[in-house]
Amino acid sequence: MDLSPYRDLFLSESQGHIKSSNELIVKLESHSADKSIVDELFRHAHSLKGMAATMQFQPLAALAHAMEDLLSKVRSGELTIESALIDLLLEGNDALSLMISIIESGKDQLSDNPALISRLTEFSPASQSITQATAPPDSAPSAIETPAQTGSQPGVFRHSDSFKNIRIRTEVLDRLVNITGELITTRHQLADQARLFPQKLNEPLNRLTLLLRDLRDEVLQARMLPFTFVSERLPRLVRDLARQQGKEIAFHIEGTEIELDRGILEEIAEPLVHILRNAVDHGMERPAQRVADGKPANGMISICVTRDKDHVNVVISDDGRGMNSGLIIQKAIEKGLISSAQAASLTPQEALMLICAPGFSTAATVTDISGRGVGMDAVRSSLHNLGGNLSIESVPGQGSTFTLRLPITVSIINALLVECGKLVIAFPVNAVDRALELAPKDIQEVDGQRFCALDAISVPLKSLNQLLGQPTAKTRAACIPTIVTRAGGFPIGLVTDRILGQHEIFIKPLGPPLSSMLPLTGGAILGDGRIIFVIDATMLVGKNMGGNYCSPNPHCA
Amino acid sequence: MSATVMIVDDSLFMRNILCGILKGQGFQIIAEAASGIEAVKHLHELKPDIIVLDIILPDANGLDLLVSILETNPLTKVVICSAIGQEPVTQKAFDLGATAFICKPITPESVIEVFSGLEG
Repeated sequence: MDLSPYRDLFLSESQGHIKSSNELIVKLESHSADKSIVDELFRHAHSLKGMAATMQFQPLAALAHAMEDLLSKVRSGELTIESALIDLLLEGNDALSLMISIIESGKDQLSDNPALISRLTEFSPASQSITQATAPPDSAPSAIETPAQTGSQPGVFRHSDSFKNIRIRTEVLDRLVNITGELITTRHQLADQARLFPQKLNEPLNRLTLLLRDLRDEVLQARMLPFTFVSERLPRLVRDLARQQGKEIAFHIEGTEIELDRGILEEIAEPLVHILRNAVDHGMERPAQRVADGKPANGMISICVTRDKDHVNVVISDDGRGMNSGLIIQKAIEKGLISSAQAASLTPQEALMLICAPGFSTAATVTDISGRGVGMDAVRSSLHNLGGNLSIESVPGQGSTFTLRLPITVSIINALLVECGKLVIAFPVNAVDRALELAPKDIQEVDGQRFCALDAISVPLKSLNQLLGQPTAKTRAACIPTIVTRAGGFPIGLVTDRILGQHEIFIKPLGPPLSSMLPLTGGAILGDGRIIFVIDATMLVGKNMGGNYCSPNPHCA
Repeated sequence: MSATVMIVDDSLFMRNILCGILKGQGFQIIAEAASGIEAVKHLHELKPDIIVLDIILPDANGLDLLVSILETNPLTKVVICSAIGQEPVTQKAFDLGATAFICKPITPESVIEVFSGLEG
C-alpha cells in the first residue's frame, strides 16, 4: 500500500501528540495525584505507537511502545511519580520528537535506540538512585500540591479532529490576507475615480466597502491562533532551567486560550523565552537565599494573558529579587548610555527601561543561559516592529513584572503618515507618543544638538529628512511638524515636512534589496497608488543615547 | 446497495487510512467520529450497517461503547480496531458481541480480509 498520501497527516498528528505529552509530563510533576494526566499521556503514547506501526516506522513504534509500557506501570501504581521518572519521560518524549523530525526531513531510515528503550522498560525505583546522581544537588522538584485541585475531570471531551474542521496550509492564509489587502487598496483607487460618477457608483461602492470589511475580518480571524501556540513549551523550559541552577520555581500560565495573529505569535516567541530566562536566571534567588530573606523557598513565575479591546496584554511576573532603578541609572551613566542630567529627569519606570538599551546588562555575572544582556534590546524592538510595546515594573526584593502589549493582528494597522521630501512615511500609531507643531521659540540648541521641552523633559530633535537623505525645506515655517516617538527607549522628536494624519494601512513585507534596509519594516500602497514605507524609529535614529545620531545603517547613507 | 460504515477513531490519520482502504472495496463511509460522544450522535442519526471502533478514545472505552451500540442497534456489525490485541481483550470483545477484531497496525490485507468476511 502506498502510504505517502498519509505522511503529512501522520507528521502533524504525531507532532501534536509529542507537544501535548511534553506539556502533560511537566504538569504531572506538580500534579502527581491527578490520574487523568497519566491516562492522557498513555493515550498519546498508544496512539503514536499505532500510527508509527501503520506507517512502518518500526524504531519509532518500538520507542513509543516502551513509553507506553512505562506509563502503564505508573498507571497501575507500580511506579510513583518522582523527578527521575519525569526526567526519563521527558527524555523519551524528546527522542520520539527527534525521530519524527528525522522523518519530516525526508530521511525515513530511523535507527533503533536500544539503550533508551531498556532504560524505559527497566526503570524501577531501584534504578532511580543512579539517575539522580547525575542531577544537580538541591534540585528536588517543587512538588507544590493542592490536593483539592487535583481531582480528575473525566467528563471533558476533546474535539480534536471533528468533521467540521479542515487543515489548511498557512501559506494559503497568507495569500488570502494578501489578496484581501490588494482588494482594499483597489477599492480606495475605485473610490477616487468614483467621484466623477457619484450617482451611479456610490451605492455599490458602499456595499463593496462593507463586504470588504467583513472579508478582512474573516480572513484575519482565520490566521488567529491561541496563545498556547507559543506557550506550550514554556513550562518545560522553566522547569529545565530551574533544575539546572538548583532553583525551585512554580510556573503558572493563564489565558492561553486567547487568540492572536499567527505572525505576532511567531514574533513574540523568542522575546517570551528571553524574558523567562532572565527571570529564572537573574530574577530568581536560590532557595537558601529566599528563606534567608523571609520568602518561601519556592519561587513563582507566572504569565497572564488578557484581552483589552483590540490589544492583548501578556504579563510576565516573578517574585524574585526585583530590580533597583538607582543601580540601573548608575550603571547606565557609567556605561555612557545617558548623561547625569538626563538621569535626573528619569521617572522610575523610565529608569527600568534602561535595561532595554543596547549593551546594558543587569546581571552581576554573564551566564550561558541569558547571554550577555543584548537581549532586552531585541525584545523591545521586536515588540515595536509589531506595533506593540513593553513596560516594566519592579520592586526591589519583591519581584518584577514585564507587560507586553500586543496588537491582535499585524497585517492591517493604524499608522501616522508624514510627508518627508518626496516620500510618505508611516509610523505605527502605537509607536508614536505625540504629533505636534513646534514654534521656533520652543527649540533650544546645546552643542549643536537641538532640543524641545515636553512635559519638563528635554527631547532631542532630529530631522527626518536628513536621516532619510531627503532635501530639507529651505524656508523655516512658523509651525514645525514634529512627531515624538521613541528610540532605544528614549523620546525623540522627528522633524518633518508635513503630518498627513492617521490611516488604516495594509502592511506588506518588503522584498530584497529593500528588506535589508533595517529601518524599513514594511511597505504599503495608498488608495492613490503611492507607495509608502513603514519605519522603525529606533533603527532609524540609532540606539546610542550618547548624542551620536548619525545614520547607523550604511545602506541609508 | 453497498453497506454503510462509520469509523470511530480519535486519530484523523487512522480514519483516513481506513477510509481509503474501505472506499477502495466499495463500502460507503457515511460518518467519522473522533470521540465516543460524536459516535453516539452519528449512530442515532445515520444508523450505519458497520462500525469500525477503536478501544482507546478520549472520552470513552470502545468496549463500553460496543455494549451500548448493540443495546440500541443489535443488528449493527461492530469491528473493533485496536492496538491492544492481547487474547483477553479480543476474547472480551467477542464475548460482548463484536463481529470482528482488527489488530493495529492495520494493513490493507488485514482490513480487506475482515470486511470480506462481513458481507453476506
